[in-house]
Amino acid sequence: MQMPQPDQSVINRRETLAAGLTRIVGAQWVIVDEAERRPYQCDGITAYMAMPLLVVLPGSTDELRQVLRFCHDNAVKVVPRGSGTSLSGGALPLEDGVLLVTSRLCEILSIDRENRVARVQPGVPNIKISEAVHHLGLCYMPDPSSQLISTIGGNVAENSGGVHCLKYGVTANHILGIEAVLITGEVIRLGGAFLGGAEGELDLMGVLTGSEGLLAVVTEIAVRLEPLPEVARVISMSFPSVEKACECVGAIIGAGIIPAGLEFMDRKVLDAVAALIRESFDSRTEALLLCELDGTAVEVDALVQVVNDVARSQGAIETKVSTTQEERERIWSSRKLAFSAIGKLCPDYYCTDGTIPRNKLPEVLNKMAQLSEQYGLDYANCFHAGDGNLHPIIMYDAAKPGDLEKAEAFGADVLIACVDAGGVLSGEHGVGVEKRDLMTHQFSEIDLQQQQMVKCAFDPGELLNPGKVFPTTCRCAEFGRMHVHKGNLRFADIPRF
Amino acid sequence: MTQTQADTTIQRPATVQDVADIIMDAAQAGCRLAITGNGTRPGLGNPVTAAGTLSLGGLDKIDFYDPDDLVIRAGAGITLDELEAILLAKGQYLPFEPPRYAALYGTDPRRCTLGGAVATALSGPRRILSGAVRDFVLGVEGVNGQGDVFKAGGRTMKNVTGYDLAKLVTGSHGTLAALTSVTIKVLPAPRAEISLVLPAAGLAEDTALFSAIRALPLGVGGLARRMNDGGTCEVVIRVEGTQPGVAGNRQVLEGLLQKRGGAHVLVQEESQAQWADIRELACLHPRADELVWRVNLPATAVTEFVARAREAGCINRFFIDWAGGVVFSTMRGVQPEVDVLRYRKMAESIGAKATMLRAPCAVLTRFGAFPPTSSGVAALAARTRAAFDPAGILNPGRMSLQPQEQGHA
Repeated sequence: MQMPQPDQSVINRRETLAAGLTRIVGAQWVIVDEAERRPYQCDGITAYMAMPLLVVLPGSTDELRQVLRFCHDNAVKVVPRGSGTSLSGGALPLEDGVLLVTSRLCEILSIDRENRVARVQPGVPNIKISEAVHHLGLCYMPDPSSQLISTIGGNVAENSGGVHCLKYGVTANHILGIEAVLITGEVIRLGGAFLGGAEGELDLMGVLTGSEGLLAVVTEIAVRLEPLPEVARVISMSFPSVEKACECVGAIIGAGIIPAGLEFMDRKVLDAVAALIRESFDSRTEALLLCELDGTAVEVDALVQVVNDVARSQGAIETKVSTTQEERERIWSSRKLAFSAIGKLCPDYYCTDGTIPRNKLPEVLNKMAQLSEQYGLDYANCFHAGDGNLHPIIMYDAAKPGDLEKAEAFGADVLIACVDAGGVLSGEHGVGVEKRDLMTHQFSEIDLQQQQMVKCAFDPGELLNPGKVFPTTCRCAEFGRMHVHKGNLRFADIPRF
Repeated sequence: MTQTQADTTIQRPATVQDVADIIMDAAQAGCRLAITGNGTRPGLGNPVTAAGTLSLGGLDKIDFYDPDDLVIRAGAGITLDELEAILLAKGQYLPFEPPRYAALYGTDPRRCTLGGAVATALSGPRRILSGAVRDFVLGVEGVNGQGDVFKAGGRTMKNVTGYDLAKLVTGSHGTLAALTSVTIKVLPAPRAEISLVLPAAGLAEDTALFSAIRALPLGVGGLARRMNDGGTCEVVIRVEGTQPGVAGNRQVLEGLLQKRGGAHVLVQEESQAQWADIRELACLHPRADELVWRVNLPATAVTEFVARAREAGCINRFFIDWAGGVVFSTMRGVQPEVDVLRYRKMAESIGAKATMLRAPCAVLTRFGAFPPTSSGVAALAARTRAAFDPAGILNPGRMSLQPQEQGHA
């Protein structure tokens, strides 16, 4: 992975730029000292690091607006960041760019119980919204596993999913309106704090959501609140083979049931978890499915019965249904511990999130086994089966020369297999820098150009989060002037990063 | 009374390549094109002046349908009737319940297309529970204003790879691209459906009831307050789900409605017919010379808004859907210059969005069918449009009027 060459002349201006930014946010909130910048040098992917030019933490929309404008006027790149939990390097700093951190914008501005809407600032951690409305019997549905830390602004930038998005949808389905600041410092408001608040507008909010900080910085979000489900029960189903478990996923959905969550764990993950919690799983089990059903008590009881029957007919060895909240939490704990349990097995692991049509699960999982042999790296599988959202956990040792590169290549081959199976590179982590160079495998030159043209409409100077998502610069100035018909490569000469 | 382009030629290609060629030719000749499906909603949006019309109605094939994966991809020109029949055969449906609105424009509802539903982003009564069109569009293929065929999104349930251009195209009224195919997430249709119907009380009381019901996790996928022909109003509550789930939720609701004197129950087909009428705004019965409006607003604001608008003569007949979140109304067309501005102003003062679903051409051209946006958003939208259609040949002006054309600017 290669980033654009940092501009030394910008780095040389560090002190002057810091002085300008200090005038906007105050000295306390501009981090110049190298030791203090160090904690910001990576996000959730620790394999990629870069020291930010400066770190700036504005305390209001107005300060943030001025910071962006200042950077725009001084032609300085900006990388926006929430809590830095991105798993694709979306918040990876640039050595010649300002890291704009939204963590001080962390207020819940209003909670409207009657209309079931909360207005929040971007730095609010996801979980805080649900906590703030729990006493009203409401919640904010999208629940990425990073929800204790990851911010709602970051969730909007990445269009985060979560365990429950199979039934309830992802971030984009739960936001009603946003305030965002363009790189010029211009503040725009899209949608409203009610359904249909964006009627008659182009869905600019839709394209900003999941744009990975390349189009604008979100400063306020109006989110939908939903009634808390009355009951949630989880069924744990163990299978003698990965194939059987995969087939059961299709059979559950095919039976007309949309579970609140449907998760898959393979034997390696189960063993790792078992070692951690000193509890063993049935020795015949090669794969485990966790299926959560929620709704009213009557409805859930009926659905539990159907899923149980489906699982049995699909060859499940054993099924367990939670009858109390404690049991439900215990069953889920194995899934929640999965990644840390794997972390104990190997010095490092690498996890991607290609997503495929559900009926391609057996095919792609087989391919993974084959790749594992080819690269000589072990892997485990723990993923959102209901969405076809894979999370292969590739184990490696960063201390071994060449191991990271091997893991990256393994991951890339899995993603390519996902695209070839009719799927996509990323279901929820984003492209960032991690999958950037694979974009040409999923999209044609024209598809990518159309996306980059939108970038030019928002940020023609390419100052916001450059080097992410797209394998080439946009060259906005050329677009609209040059045009070659019939699918001929337009910018064959553009250097790749 | 409504119409759009005085066109000369209608082209109805049957392949994506032909669509691309037509647009490329038009782009090179600097010709504007009206983009339509089967032209069933000619008066929705601002009038378009174009040299020719490009109909996508010929692209009407299913590309694939994978019921176990809850996904279907079809040509933009497939009719909603055909699509819904294909889904129903597998016990599935389009959760966003696309309205046709053909009656408003005197066209044939059976000819409304999938592409039209996506381009206009019209969502039906179930939006309060299931979401809008945009929430079910997984991917699109289209041809931009330069004749380039592009695809965006995909077919998987989750996808954050690159910008979500599929969302951007949804609701763009053919101003970004001519849609050629759409990939849609579908869901199992509810096994059981009933509606509880009771006489309306005051608007405030009824919206409070809606809010109380929505606060409960009962899977209520329809809360409307409709007007009967006699002028009295009724509250209609739709409950969907599994057989036992619906029965249980019905009990809870009946308990809740006891102090309102109870409700009568419509079962299955009766309930479906009722909601088809609500979806199609049937109870409005707009006269030929009346304007038809949709106002989206917070449910807590609807009572006062309707009272003020009726007092000012801006609302003739009206009904409420989306649990109070949308008002559909008719306006007498006597002095639209005064009433349109007054009604829009009332809506704007509370941050609501007032759209003219139907109005005479002259009114649409002068005031714009859609609610005005801030100058910053309008400029960004214009730049975004240019990113797809730099010469502005696709449905020019359909969504936003040129500033000098805006009567209220």
